[in-house]
Amino acid sequence: MRRPLCAAVLSAGLILSAIPARAHHSFAMFDVTKRVTLTGTVTMFEWTNPHAYIELDVTDEKGTVKHWSIELGSPSILMQGGWKFKDLKYGDKVTMVVSPLKSGESGALLSTITMPDGRVLGNGPLPPGGGRQ
Amino acid sequence: MNGSRRALAVLVLSLMAGSASAQSTSDLTGVWAPYRGGRGADPALAAPPATALVLKPEYAVPFETRRKTEAEAAARGEPIASAAVACVPYGVPRMMSVALYPIEILPTAGQITIVAEAFSEVRRIYLNKSQLPIDDVPPGYYGHSVGHWENGTLVVDTVGIKTSVPAYQNMPHSARMRITERLRLVSADILHDQITIDDPIVLEKPITYTLAYRRMPGYEMVEFVCDNNREFIDEKGGTHLKVRDR
Repeated sequence: MRRPLCAAVLSAGLILSAIPARAHHSFAMFDVTKRVTLTGTVTMFEWTNPHAYIELDVTDEKGTVKHWSIELGSPSILMQGGWKFKDLKYGDKVTMVVSPLKSGESGALLSTITMPDGRVLGNGPLPPGGGRQ
Repeated sequence: MNGSRRALAVLVLSLMAGSASAQSTSDLTGVWAPYRGGRGADPALAAPPATALVLKPEYAVPFETRRKTEAEAAARGEPIASAAVACVPYGVPRMMSVALYPIEILPTAGQITIVAEAFSEVRRIYLNKSQLPIDDVPPGYYGHSVGHWENGTLVVDTVGIKTSVPAYQNMPHSARMRITERLRLVSADILHDQITIDDPIVLEKPITYTLAYRRMPGYEMVEFVCDNNREFIDEKGGTHLKVRDR
């Protein structure tokens, strides 16, 4: 009797939908309930796998520079959202909305970015806050 | 031709027609992206819900414990790393559905090759060949797949997936796992892959789920070489991002 009971409980508890696997890792490192706006200067744009990255210097009102590492989706996912590999370069001024790391370190997941030419891009084809990359 | 001969001829012709129909193929050639349904999409083309995942008790208890541990680690911002964090490919069946990445189906004589954009994974399905005994297949990420056509549906049988390769929802599985896929067009541009995983060691009953894809005409697959992996795994298995100073 014990086994069927246990199986029945699991049957009720583990009806899971066919959610596709995330590409590389969980995004639970980031606090996606938070949205932080950063305005700064691009020091590097890496169009790479498994993720693209923007390195950003942000200067506060006292003139102190804080550096941020911003994680994006992969090139394939970004291209589906309208990105191109040469969209950013050293010295570009950008404003972005990001979800910061829960650890408090100055790293974050991109939500949206206003490009130097005024375009607003997301982190792939899904709308901002649309979940997985 | 007398009546009995005529009846025999009709029977033979109908059997031949039936055989041809059973072997009829569909053209699955091309690139396919996950089809999520959603606003404006035809719900009739969406993937049906999965059946229940029912593990045998000796596997269910540690599986549930692991899931709780994973949830706690995620809440701390240190999600437990899967092998993919270290850029280890997914293998079969998970490579068939990775986030929004497409797959490319390439039929050639006697074989269908599927390339997944994420991690550039490749699997080969050998057509109209007998499957090998499980014990004769070296355990690996893609195992050994054979396929045949049934009324326009590609039926694929896969064995030989090693136990460290993730399966559905990271369920545990044994070396006896057998994966049966039924790939069929549900409309001109929507493809379903119905996947059934059976494992007599781990599962009380087979689990069946379906992946839906939409055709992507003209899409050129993007390379995916995992050469800038900034994620690292701590001693507890948690995932972290390397943040640069400048």
